[in-house]
Amino acid sequence: MLNQVPVVREQIKKCVRCGQCRSVCPIFAEFKTENMSPRGQVFLVQMLRDGEIQPSDKVAAKLSDCLLCETCSSSCPSGIQVHEMIQAARTYVASQRPSFTRKLIFDTVWSSPVLLRRTVGLIRLSQRLGLQTIARTFGLTKLLPGDLSKAEGILSSIPRRGARQQLPALTIPARGTRKYRVAYFLGCATDLLHPEVALATVEVLTCNGCEVVIPSSLKCCGMPQVANGEGTVAQELARHNNCVLANASVDAVVSDCASCTSALKSPRYQEVECGGQAEIYKKVYDLNVFLVDCLKLDSVPGSIPKTVVTYHDPCHLVKAQKVKTQPRKLLRMIPGVELKEIPERCCGGSGTFALTHYDLSMKILNHKVEAIAKTNADLVATACPSCIIQLEYGLRQNGLGMKVLHPVQLLSQAYQSLDK
Amino acid sequence: MNRQALSQELIKLLGAEKVIADELDLMYYSYDSSFLAKQHRFIPDIVVTPRSTEDVVKVMKYAYEHGIPVTPRGAGTGETCGAVAINGGIVLDMSTWDVIDEVDVPNMQVFVRPGVVHANLNEHLAQYGLFFPPDPGSTRMCTIGGMVANNASGLRAVKYGCTEQYVLGLEVVLPNGEVIITGGMKSRAVKSVSGMNLTKLFVGSEGVLGVITRIRLRVWPKPKARGIVMAVFPVLEDAPKAVLEVYQAGILPSGIEILDDSAIKAINMYRPDINLPAAEAILLFEVDGNPASVDWEGQTIKEIVNRRASQVEWATDPKRMADLWEGRSVVASAAARVRPDGSRVFAGEDISVPLSRVTEVLRGIRGLGEQFGIKVVNYGHIGDGNVHTAPVIDPEIPAEVEQANKLVDAIHRLAIELGGSTTGEHGVGAVRAQYAVAEHGDAVKVMQAIKNAIDPKGIMNPGKLFRLEGEN
Ligand SMILES: Cc1cc2nc3c(=O)[nH]c(=O)nc-3n(C[C@H](O)[C@H](O)[C@H](O)COP(=O)(O)OP(=O)(O)OC[C@H]3O[C@@H](n4cnc5c(N)ncnc54)[C@H](O)[C@@H]3O)c2cc1C
Ligand code: SF4
Ligand code: SF4
Repeated sequence: MLNQVPVVREQIKKCVRCGQCRSVCPIFAEFKTENMSPRGQVFLVQMLRDGEIQPSDKVAAKLSDCLLCETCSSSCPSGIQVHEMIQAARTYVASQRPSFTRKLIFDTVWSSPVLLRRTVGLIRLSQRLGLQTIARTFGLTKLLPGDLSKAEGILSSIPRRGARQQLPALTIPARGTRKYRVAYFLGCATDLLHPEVALATVEVLTCNGCEVVIPSSLKCCGMPQVANGEGTVAQELARHNNCVLANASVDAVVSDCASCTSALKSPRYQEVECGGQAEIYKKVYDLNVFLVDCLKLDSVPGSIPKTVVTYHDPCHLVKAQKVKTQPRKLLRMIPGVELKEIPERCCGGSGTFALTHYDLSMKILNHKVEAIAKTNADLVATACPSCIIQLEYGLRQNGLGMKVLHPVQLLSQAYQSLDK
Repeated sequence: MNRQALSQELIKLLGAEKVIADELDLMYYSYDSSFLAKQHRFIPDIVVTPRSTEDVVKVMKYAYEHGIPVTPRGAGTGETCGAVAINGGIVLDMSTWDVIDEVDVPNMQVFVRPGVVHANLNEHLAQYGLFFPPDPGSTRMCTIGGMVANNASGLRAVKYGCTEQYVLGLEVVLPNGEVIITGGMKSRAVKSVSGMNLTKLFVGSEGVLGVITRIRLRVWPKPKARGIVMAVFPVLEDAPKAVLEVYQAGILPSGIEILDDSAIKAINMYRPDINLPAAEAILLFEVDGNPASVDWEGQTIKEIVNRRASQVEWATDPKRMADLWEGRSVVASAAARVRPDGSRVFAGEDISVPLSRVTEVLRGIRGLGEQFGIKVVNYGHIGDGNVHTAPVIDPEIPAEVEQANKLVDAIHRLAIELGGSTTGEHGVGAVRAQYAVAEHGDAVKVMQAIKNAIDPKGIMNPGKLFRLEGEN
C-alpha cells in the first residue's frame, strides 16, 4: 500500500544514503544521532514498505519526529522528497492504527470550518481553565501525550471574532481600476488566530486593484491532516478546495499563509482536477510573491515610524516554495523599515508539532530567539501565521518585548498612515 | 551476553542518555553509504554516544574484558561498510562529540574531538584566515574522526595531499582501554622525526586499531585567490597528456577534474541549462594562491592546453567560476538520471591508477559496462589518477544487483592490473578487504601482525581493511 504512493515507489531506491540531509535537519542538529536523521526516516519508510517492520506505535512516534520543514528535501542531491515520504508513511501507519480522537480532531473538526470555529471559540472561553482541562474533556491528551500541559501558553489569547466574521463581504471590490480578480485562501490560523493579518491582506490587495473573493465553502488546506496521518482526508480536502477555486473564476489564488500556499501547490493538489479545470496550483501565489512579481509593487505610499525589522524565513516559504527575495523586497520598500538579517533556520513551530513535541520544539525555537535577540530589532516580520504564534511565544518566554507581524501588516500600517 | 544485560551494564558505566538499545533505533545503525549496506542489514547489539575520552575508555575496557566487537562510527558517510558492525557488538557513534577544543593560531594547529563535521571546522577556522585543506565531497556531513580513520581527501589532493599530511598527533584509546598520544606527549611542534611514526599508523587504519578521541591538525593560511580553466577535448587520450604538460611547465594546480563523455551526457540530461559541449572529455584546472600567481598560472595553463583542446576558457570571476564548477558538482546526482528508474550505487566507485593509464581505465570501464549490461558514469580527480565510477542500476532488481557486483569486481581487478589501487580515497572497509592480498601481497601479513599486537582479541572493527587468503 505504501508502495502505491508515487513518491515512495519512485524515489526510495534513489536514496544513496549520502547523509547530506543529516547536515541540514533541525531535529538532527539537536540529537546528532542517526535515529533522528532524515536519512534514517527514509530508511524507516523503506523498511515499512518492505514489511521488515510493522506499523507500531513506536514507528508512528519515530515518524512524528519531524517538522515537515522540507529542509532535507530541498537539499537532497538525489531530489528525494523526504517530507512527502514521511507524510505518506504517517498516513499509512495511521490507517493501520485508526484512532478515534485523531479522527475526531483532524477529520471531523478541523476539516469543517464551522466546527473548527466553534471549537476554537470553546477553547477561548475555557482558556482560563487551562488547555489541559479542555484537552482532558475532549480526550485530546491521548493524541498529544505529555506535552500539553507545558504547551498551554503557546496560544496567548484567542481573538473574539475570526476574520470571516469581521470581513464585510465575500466579494470585496477593488479600489480604483480592477486589475485582477483574486481568490483569497483564508487559512484556519489566519482566520481564527490572526484576523488582523487577514484584514491587512484584503486591504493591501484591494488598494492595489484586486477584487478579492473569499469563497465561503473553502475548507482547511489539509496540512494539519497530512501532518497527523490523516492523508486520505487531506486528499478529499484538496479535491473539495480545488473545485471551489475552479468555480470561482479567478485570475489568481493568493494566501498570506506559507503553509497554505505550499499545500495548495503540493502534489496532493496537483493530482486532482475539477470539472476539466486542472492545474489550479499554477495560479497559487504566496501574497508576497503576488505583490512583488504580479502587481509589480515597487514603492509604498505612506510610512511607518522608524523601525528595525528582522525577517524570519518560514520553511514552507523558503524551502517549499523557494521564496526568499520578495518578502524582503516588500519590507525594504516600506519607508521607515530598516532590515537586519538573521540566519535562516526553522523556528520549530510547524503547526501542531509544538504541541506534540513541546520540549524539542522549544530547543529549536531557542536558537532562533537567540539570533533575533542579537539583532536588537524592534520587530520580527514573518510570512506564516504558525511561525508568528511560535515566535511570539518564544520571545514572550524570554522576556523580549518584540512584536511579531506579517509583512502585509506593516504594509497596511504604512497605507493607513496616509489617512491620519 | 544478551542485549538487555549489555545495555544495563553500559548504562551503569555511562548513563542512560548515552546508550541506544531500542531494537528499532539500532536498525538505523545498520548502514553507511555503501552499496553493500544497502543489500544487507548489519544491526549492532548496542550503540553508545561517548562525549569524553573517559567514556570511550570505559566502553573499551568493558568490551575487551568480555570480547565484544566495537565499531567506531563518524557520520556513516563512508562508502565501504566500514562504520557498520558486521559482526554485531557495540557501535560508538562519535557524531555527538563535536567539540573544537582549541585553535592554536601562533602555531598554526587545531585540536578537535572526532565528531566535528569537516565544513564546520573550516567555517570556524575562516575567522582566523586559516583552513584545513583536504576537502571531501562529503564536507558538510563527514566527521574529522572519520576522515582521519579513512585518510580522506578530495578534489584538491593533487596539490594539498590527503588528511595524513595534516595530522600532527592523535589521542587514541586502544582496544584494551589504554590511552596513548601519538606525535609527542606534550608536543606542539609541527616538525618531528622522533620515534616510530605511530600517527601515520593510525591515520587510515579505519577503526581496526583503536578509537581516535582527539586530533591535532596542522592548518594552513587560506589562499586569497582562485581561478579555473575549462578545457574541452574531442579525443579522450589528449586529456591526460594535457595534464602532464601542465605539470611539466612547473605548475601544480589545486585541482584537476575530469568529466568523460558519460558524465557530460548525464549532466546535460539532468541540467540542460549547464549545456556542456559534447566531447570525449572536459577538464577543469583550478589554481589558487595569491592573485598575481593565480593569474599567471591560469593564463599559462590556458596556452598549454590550447594545443590539444577544442575550446578553452579561463575564469576568475566568482560567478563564472561557480557556473563552470556547477557541472562537476552536480555530476554525482546527475549520474542517476541516465536511467529514470535507476539509482547510482556506491560500489567500485573509487579506483586510482597512474596518470599514464587513466585513458585505458576509462575505456576499460566503458567496455566492462557493456559486457555486464550496466550504464556507468565516470568522473574524478584526474590530477592524481583517482577515477570515480558510478554504476547506475535498479537496485530492487536482484539480477541487476548480481551483474553490478560482477562489474564492480572487474573494475577493482582492472585497477590492480593497470598498476593502480582499488581505492584512492574512500578506503577499504568490508567491501574491498578481499583485494588486500592482491594489492599488497605479503605485506598483509605484517598488517595482520600489527593488528594482533595491538588488538590481540580482535575486537576492534572486525572484518575490515584486510582479509588473509582463505579467510571469509
Ligand atoms: C557524497 C559523498 C562524497 C564523498 N566524497 C569523498 C571525497 O571526496 N573524498 C573522500 O575521501 N571521501 C569521500 N566520501 C567518503 C566519506 O565521506 C569519507 O570516507 C569520510 O571520511 C567518512 O567520514 P565519516 O565521519 O562519515 O566516517 P564513517 O563513515 O562513519 O566511518 C568511516 C571509517 O572510519 C572509522 N572511524 C570513524 N570515526 C572513528 C574514530 N573516531 N576512531 C576510529 N575510527 C573511526 C569507522 O570505523 C569507519 O571504518 C564521500 C562520501 C559521500 C557520501
Ligand atoms: S540527502 Fe537524499 S540521497 Fe542523501 S541520504 Fe538524504 S535522502 Fe538520501
Ligand atoms: S522535514 Fe525538516 S525536520 Fe523533517 S526530516 Fe526533513 S529536515 Fe528534518
